[in-house]
Amino acid sequence: MTILQAHDLKVERGGRRIVDTVSLRLEGGAFVAIIGPNGAGKSTLMSALAGLLIADAGHVTLDGVALTAIGNRTLAQLRAYLPQNPRAEWPISVERLIALGLTPQLPAFGGLPAAFVRRIDTLLAQFDLISHRDQPATTLSGGELARAMLARALVSDPALLLADEPLAGLDPRHALDGVARLRALADGGKLVIASIHELTLAARYATHVAVLREGRLIAFGPTAQTLTSGLVRDTFDVDACVTAAGSPLAIVDFVAKPAQPWSAASSSGSDSTPRS
Amino acid sequence: MVIRRRWLWLGILLLIVAVLLSLGTGRVWLDPAILLRSIVEPEPSLAWLILSELRLPRTLLGILVGATLGLSGAVLQGLLRNPLAEPGLLGVSAGAALGAVIAIYFGLAASFALATPLFGIGGAIFAATLTLIVGRGGTLMMILAGAAVSGLMAAGLSLALNFAPNPYAAYEITTWLLGTLSDRDWNQLALAAPFILAGWACLALTARDLDALTLGEAQAESLGVNLRRVRLLALAGTAMSVGAATAATGAVGFIGLVAPHLVRPFVGHQPSRVLLPSALFGAILLVFADVATRVIPTSTEVKLGVLTSLAGTPFFFWLVLRLKRLSP
Amino acid sequence: MRIRRLANGLAVTFLALGLAAAPASAATLAKAKPGRIMSTNMCNDLLLLMLVPKERISSITYLAHDAVAMLMPGADTGVRINHGTAEEVVRERPDLILASPWSTPALRRLGAKVGAPVAEIDAANSFADIRRITRQIGALVGEPARAEALIAGMDRTLAELAATHPRRTVRVVAWSGPGSVPGKGTLTDEIIRIAGGENIAAKYDDGRYSSFGMEELLRARPDALMHGEDRYDGPSLRDSAVAHPVMRKAFAGRQISYPASLYTCGLPQSASAARDLRAALGKLPAGGVTW
Repeated sequence: MTILQAHDLKVERGGRRIVDTVSLRLEGGAFVAIIGPNGAGKSTLMSALAGLLIADAGHVTLDGVALTAIGNRTLAQLRAYLPQNPRAEWPISVERLIALGLTPQLPAFGGLPAAFVRRIDTLLAQFDLISHRDQPATTLSGGELARAMLARALVSDPALLLADEPLAGLDPRHALDGVARLRALADGGKLVIASIHELTLAARYATHVAVLREGRLIAFGPTAQTLTSGLVRDTFDVDACVTAAGSPLAIVDFVAKPAQPWSAASSSGSDSTPRS
Repeated sequence: MVIRRRWLWLGILLLIVAVLLSLGTGRVWLDPAILLRSIVEPEPSLAWLILSELRLPRTLLGILVGATLGLSGAVLQGLLRNPLAEPGLLGVSAGAALGAVIAIYFGLAASFALATPLFGIGGAIFAATLTLIVGRGGTLMMILAGAAVSGLMAAGLSLALNFAPNPYAAYEITTWLLGTLSDRDWNQLALAAPFILAGWACLALTARDLDALTLGEAQAESLGVNLRRVRLLALAGTAMSVGAATAATGAVGFIGLVAPHLVRPFVGHQPSRVLLPSALFGAILLVFADVATRVIPTSTEVKLGVLTSLAGTPFFFWLVLRLKRLSP
Repeated sequence: MRIRRLANGLAVTFLALGLAAAPASAATLAKAKPGRIMSTNMCNDLLLLMLVPKERISSITYLAHDAVAMLMPGADTGVRINHGTAEEVVRERPDLILASPWSTPALRRLGAKVGAPVAEIDAANSFADIRRITRQIGALVGEPARAEALIAGMDRTLAELAATHPRRTVRVVAWSGPGSVPGKGTLTDEIIRIAGGENIAAKYDDGRYSSFGMEELLRARPDALMHGEDRYDGPSLRDSAVAHPVMRKAFAGRQISYPASLYTCGLPQSASAARDLRAALGKLPAGGVTW
């Protein structure tokens, strides 16, 4: 089973501590939602957990081996990483885009081996992209592109998936679809880590939540026990009502503090306001 | 796949046509039958001299230089994910020209034949490194840095011109910078070819990583791409091949910009698949342009660089307008 | 040719300055021999050095040194040089400025301001021009007798050359790279004719200077190539054009170098250049080029 561990991670940028002494132990089968206000260090923590950023102190291990000790290629086959708003820079076909996920395994020159073509076919079907197979990736809608990128990340069958705000910019239907797919992956045994601003979706689908504020990990645990009204209030500085966290019916609702003018309340928590 | 093959064959066919035209045309018209006979039985004759000593090295150099520009343009566009990238816009050509001018006019080339290509490469490496360092942080930055570095190299050229020991040099440098393939010889080809080929090897090694870069740098890195290595290979490859090519022919612009765009739609836009066709069409374009300089009836030959710029600038405008339309 | 372009470049500096003023009149010059003569053209530099003692020369151009070293070594020792700038004119306060026709308007105005007459000296395109120009400068600097002596020497050499005829007419071209090649109506053309050669570039009617690519040169099949030798130490691309393997191969033993300054500047010594050229042509291997 996959075990990803962070030991006293510290990342500094320009004299400011972005990630401050974070220790975590995450296991396969979990869907971990990383939540926290803007600037809490979520993206930096994700990069460090993915091994794309070398921490100033502390280290990350995958199944007991430090990420820095694993070769680029090997690591690329074990974990997949999706940055915020991933996009294709050239109008390559969706099929080609997904094939890029196989880069570490691909021979240096020549076409795709037959086994890879079958694997891509499976993913095209799994992510409802069959009809888009030859479409230029740059012409996909936001939801389609998000699915294609997820397919790209999963085509090499990694044990660990890190996705930075995978639901950003998606309409409710596609956001629901996306978060459900992430949960399904976790249920299939993978370790899925995603930073999520839609707290209701996190409360419904994530098995665990990790809460960051000013670079510190202020809470970590199973969603049902960890995601409470008090925690949300402390983290985001807005009054919140969390009901039935960890269940399919969970709701996280925000209440503007009556003493504050509307504009101030909304600016402090604009990203956390449920969109529906 | 079949379509791709067809384009490759078309390219090879076009290259053959271009080569035949290049061997068959010149300021002096030679009957093709006589040319052919001079190939079959090589003996000192006007046709044989012109063919073997002037047109053949000129054509081969044209192929090498054109392919270099096409290939490096494709690699730089893939690396920077910027359709406007090319050796000229990044200041690499200007740097190479500066190096070559220093080698020629300060007598280094006369005493040491390799000085011109080596200085050209040195200038190209310097310019490219400067552009890559200053232009970190986005495509726009890179283009701006390229413009700044080009300006710096142009200033360096003016300075070299100022201090050139030969007072006649000003006129010659200006003319040389226009770029031309006329009156090249086998020695120049032999000096440039090893560097050009070594540069190609470096550039070709970036192919698969360029594909991954389609997803952006973060995803490419997560896929095991060593960004430093790709940048270094692209930089070294461009500097070596473009540096040596520029040292041999002067500055020839726009081929590196046009060739990749020409072939991209036919190979599905995948960066690695653009490389070979782009090199092929770069060579075709350059050899055809060189034929045109000889066919256009003017009292003196139109300079190759002037012609490619004249033909390439409208394309550049079109590209800018199209990008404007595509961007939101 | 090369030298003439340089003179042009020099003239540009003056052109920036302004409008025309009165030219030097013969009357003002006849009063006294000018004692601070400034020359702003390389060809004038050389004639000036031959006609007047150094003490009366204010300055010559920085371009003259190499030609002087070749034609009359040491003649310019201690003579100040100028770069044709306005500041130099003002500083030197010359009493006569010898200029080329290209520089006049601005220079005249500047000359008028400092009280120096500006004399325009044409470029020589024939031996007749050389006689006229040498006399003109001789009169301007107050040394007509020296000028006549130089002309007489030149005419003696020309008469010797006219008295004898070379065994055969050699077809040559003054080719120093694919740029411009002197054709009909140039001093080079006349020197070649007097030496007993035939300038193949004279046949082409596209101007006095035509361009010859290497292919055209090979087709024209001259018996010899003439290559202008100047003393500029700096390497140039034109030298590499002459060194092209096909040129070396096709014209092996048939390359004649000549002193460029005597062909581009009309000087009394240009006659001896014609004599030297005739000797060089006589030494060429018999028959045409063999390929």
